[in-house]
Amino acid sequence: MKRRLRLAAASLYAFGALGFACNATASDKRDDRITSLEEKLDRSLKLIEQLGARVRDLEAERAGAETAAQASQPTPAQQTQSPPTPVQAAQSAAAQSAAALAEQQRLDSVEQQVAQLAAANADRGGRGAGVPLHGFADVGIGNHSANEPDLKGANLGALDIFLNPQLGEHTRSLFELTFEVDEHGDVQSDLERAQLGYQFSDAATVWIGRFHTPFGYYNTAFHHGQEIATSLRRPRFLQFEDQGGVMPNHTVGAWLTGTDRLSDGRLTYDAFIGNGQAISSGVLEPRSGGVEHGAAIYGGNLGYVFGNILNGLKVGVSAFRSNISDDQPIGGITLDRITRVDNAGVYFVYDTDSVEYLGEYYRFNDRDLTDGGASHRSSAGFLQLAWRLVHVTPYARFERAVLDQSDEYFSLQNAGTSYYRAALGLRFDLDEKSALKLELARTKNTDKAVAQWTDALLNYAIRF
Amino acid sequence: MQRNLIIAMLLLLLTAVARAAAADGLYLACHAGVSLASADVRDVFLGEKQFQNTVRLVPVDNVAIQTAFLERVLKMNDIKYAVTWAKKSFRDGISPPPAMANDAAVLDFIKRTPGGCGYLGADPPPDVNVVGRY
Repeated sequence: MKRRLRLAAASLYAFGALGFACNATASDKRDDRITSLEEKLDRSLKLIEQLGARVRDLEAERAGAETAAQASQPTPAQQTQSPPTPVQAAQSAAAQSAAALAEQQRLDSVEQQVAQLAAANADRGGRGAGVPLHGFADVGIGNHSANEPDLKGANLGALDIFLNPQLGEHTRSLFELTFEVDEHGDVQSDLERAQLGYQFSDAATVWIGRFHTPFGYYNTAFHHGQEIATSLRRPRFLQFEDQGGVMPNHTVGAWLTGTDRLSDGRLTYDAFIGNGQAISSGVLEPRSGGVEHGAAIYGGNLGYVFGNILNGLKVGVSAFRSNISDDQPIGGITLDRITRVDNAGVYFVYDTDSVEYLGEYYRFNDRDLTDGGASHRSSAGFLQLAWRLVHVTPYARFERAVLDQSDEYFSLQNAGTSYYRAALGLRFDLDEKSALKLELARTKNTDKAVAQWTDALLNYAIRF
Repeated sequence: MQRNLIIAMLLLLLTAVARAAAADGLYLACHAGVSLASADVRDVFLGEKQFQNTVRLVPVDNVAIQTAFLERVLKMNDIKYAVTWAKKSFRDGISPPPAMANDAAVLDFIKRTPGGCGYLGADPPPDVNVVGRY
């Protein structure tokens, strides 16, 4: 019986394989022929599974019967007793059938529970099951701190808490609360992003709140959680305001953004307006609480995402104008001075399974509105090349900033110095959500406080 | 004994062939009444397209055949897919597609969710809209 079943199964497999082979060789024939063969193959596979299950059942029954027979064999002492009757054998078989039925019911129950868990997971990922908490954290060690060259040793990076409650089909929200340790070792908290938005369609979403100013690519693609970025740290001039950057990375205001599909790619756009930033104690301040004199920042970004052969490539341009005040005391008197900052930039990103190439370049044309002075031109840019291997991503980056020191926008910022930096790094993906990064970099300040140093940095970053 | 071994090896070989044949079928289906252009499929599963007219699209992943779908349709591996969604989620505040265990779970989700879209390894039934076959 068992052999016959095996032979039958083998024949049916062969039939299925023949069906598949015919299917493969006739792939260029009519679809109904292929469909017919696939249906035959499916039916054959089902029949094979049924036969296989039947064989396993029979084997189990036989093994059980043998065990029962051994157990029921009379011992010498029992040999004097009567042999098992047909009624006893039937009872034994019935008991085995009941056990098999119970096992099948148990399997059905487990299968049902798995399906329910899958459905529950779907609901949790979609809506209506509370707010998932995500976040990032990182720590570092180096001969210098990544953002404070005067410090060295071990340091805490940031604990970045991220929430994006799903409120409805069109209402969106995003909150990013960051805890960071400053150069004195004190913990500082910042509501880095707090956005409430309404999505009219793919082509138009309006956000109101505090958001990353949409200039270039890097500033909106990467945020305070360092794990998500390939490199160990942001380009220096793009560092966040309180970490040594010179760009207005955050804006408090309104932001319209969207995307539209074209024939062979997608067009992306951003338009925004918000509070004009201020320079306070040498650091750019986004003025999250409002402004006194109506100074504003406004600008836009236009990008094109290629499809097909150039899939992964995005190019774009951006520009913004901001009236930025400062509270620098002059002659013992603190005056509100306004500098109009005009910035224009170009950028590209080529991001595929195997490489990540990024490049951005910005030009400044700033004017002191208080004195009506001359305009000041400055520039900054970077190029980063990374190659994604199996578990490691080596990268190289070159940065250069030439910042006019007669421009108060830069001269009043602690970090407003011209510099260049060349860096080589390695990113090891320890698992899906953690990365170890190493970077060796040479930095040289070329004005203001001329200095040069070499960084050897290690950073361990996670997301959850 | 030797014949049994040969039969077992033959069965294993044929099983592998049959499984490969079964994995060849890949269908994209959406809730009845929802249609997508083939050029939009990638955008839907990467969060770039979230609406079809006034209907909010709700894509779901099918864990059983996700790798094949990513390779054939999105042209990326699962690592790149996860990283892309991590960036997208933390930049735009939207969540990645929920993951379903198999065809049955995906089909059930598509049927009961307006705007639901997912991929299947078997020919979908007529009460969902088949928008692509790969």
